[in-house]
Amino acid sequence: MSASKSRPQWVLPVLIGLLVFAALPAVLASFDRGYFYQIANLALIFVLLSASMHLVTGVAGLLHLGHAAFYGVGAYTAALLTTKLGLGFTWTLPLSGLVAALVAFLVALPTMRLVSIYFAVATLAIGQMLYLVMLNWVEFTKGPNGIIVTKGLELFGFSLSGRLATYYTVAAVVVLCVVAIGRLSHSYYGNALRSIREDDQCADAMGVRTVRLKMEAFTLSAFFAGVAGSLWAHMTGYISPGDFKFSESILILAMVVVGGLGSLPGAVIGALLLILLPEGLRGLGDFRNIMVGMVMFLSILFLPKGLLGEVSALRLVRQQLGAAWRRTDNGIGIGWR
Amino acid sequence: MTHLLEIENASRRFGGVLAVNDVTAHVDEGELVGLIGPNGAGKTTLFNLISGFTPLSAGTVRFAGTPINGLRTNRVARLGISRTFQNLRVFPNMSVFDNVSVGAVGTLPQGPLDALFGAAKRADAISERTWAALEAVGLTHVADELAANLPYGRRKYLEIARALAMQPRFLILDEPAAGLNDTETRELAAFIKRLHGQGLTIMLVEHDMNLVMSICQRVLVLATGRKIADGPPEVIRQDPAVLEAYLGVDA
Repeated sequence: MSASKSRPQWVLPVLIGLLVFAALPAVLASFDRGYFYQIANLALIFVLLSASMHLVTGVAGLLHLGHAAFYGVGAYTAALLTTKLGLGFTWTLPLSGLVAALVAFLVALPTMRLVSIYFAVATLAIGQMLYLVMLNWVEFTKGPNGIIVTKGLELFGFSLSGRLATYYTVAAVVVLCVVAIGRLSHSYYGNALRSIREDDQCADAMGVRTVRLKMEAFTLSAFFAGVAGSLWAHMTGYISPGDFKFSESILILAMVVVGGLGSLPGAVIGALLLILLPEGLRGLGDFRNIMVGMVMFLSILFLPKGLLGEVSALRLVRQQLGAAWRRTDNGIGIGWR
Repeated sequence: MTHLLEIENASRRFGGVLAVNDVTAHVDEGELVGLIGPNGAGKTTLFNLISGFTPLSAGTVRFAGTPINGLRTNRVARLGISRTFQNLRVFPNMSVFDNVSVGAVGTLPQGPLDALFGAAKRADAISERTWAALEAVGLTHVADELAANLPYGRRKYLEIARALAMQPRFLILDEPAAGLNDTETRELAAFIKRLHGQGLTIMLVEHDMNLVMSICQRVLVLATGRKIADGPPEVIRQDPAVLEAYLGVDA
């Protein structure tokens, strides 16, 4: 809740707005190469994924290892609605978010009472299950062949599929969602979520409905991941299960960790870093993956709280692993609450 | 005459150990009650039974007429029982203000839609409660500080502020004087008396007799899981059973 009083609050948002909606498009237009647009759009989509992960892992402290699967659910929802029902982006955008949120809600029902590491393992399993469905339910998802999404970005029939228009659409949706996530995480609601991350038993004793709030954070973050999936599907025009596999979940997690758990600006910077760095290092060939690994390793070693984080990633993991062996008061149900 | 808190034949078994054995007690509205006993007497367990942290093995606990057996901890908290922890449990990576606001938002829940579209009334009520609680313990000047950076004594008050932000009907303090020096303990005693003076019902769980004897109107004594005495401090001080429990006269 604390804000620096030295400069007016609107300065930073205006600067970021100018950068995203004026400076960057101008630069992109001056180069006018499809590759740069592609990178910018990809970076924006991962900013949204990282921001949505920030809500569930950074703020609510739930170690989520299957986030990419909800991104995939959103993308497949968009692709299938387009190819089977002929719906355009205007409709698939909200519907992708809602379907991803619904799937998240349903899988959260049985898993949300799991504590700590058991929850992390459950999300891992859920992510794998959803991935395998995309891969193996060939008649519905076309399996490994993927789906060609026949419609580009549009708004109420008005095509937005030009390079610059696509960039602006993606940027507008991402900025809107990130602002929404910012409001969720920097509010009293966000504080209640943080208290669960810090000490969920204690939060419980303060009247915080921990299970319900965890469900909400998980479902909301899936909603935003689904929205990102819809953007991705319409932007690239082709999706396949490989885009949503486990390593993507880990990539998103890494963005949040490098940026700093609990910090939304951190999540955004982490996403930019881990998307732009590998692209910038393309000249190094296969060494670039080692470089990315080094960045993550060094950030955990020397910046335990990430660039801007509230909590150290190691502390969160230690807390989660430790809880698995901690004895509960009533002796029953270790790992289950 | 109904009591604010009624404990009837409460028992709690951990494996072969009866940590709390058939305890019957009550607390009335507006009382300042002490709960004392030697180490391992079952004070914290009884406390956890009241706050819903630990389920009862037998018996009932009623708060303002409502049985609270089997209710979730957060439900019990929202009924109006608020607590602090013996081994300080502040939220270390949150600011002092944010820590206290959790108590307020716990009892005045803000949903995701409120956060998104800004239900200003609710948010104002939460911030008002938070500032009032910070003021009550005198921590307003460090509101932006990270809780982990506060000295130990201050963190105790932070916990109390967080409990007060819930605007409880019944406040239970678990060993608030543990780890404090004599001066700090005296300050704490004065502070607790002041809270009580404002009409708050308080139960003080203490290991050390002095604080309890000096400020409480009534004292419950537990030893090996049983209630062995219940009365005003001057009577308790002379009770042979209490002396035996504390000094180990027999043997």
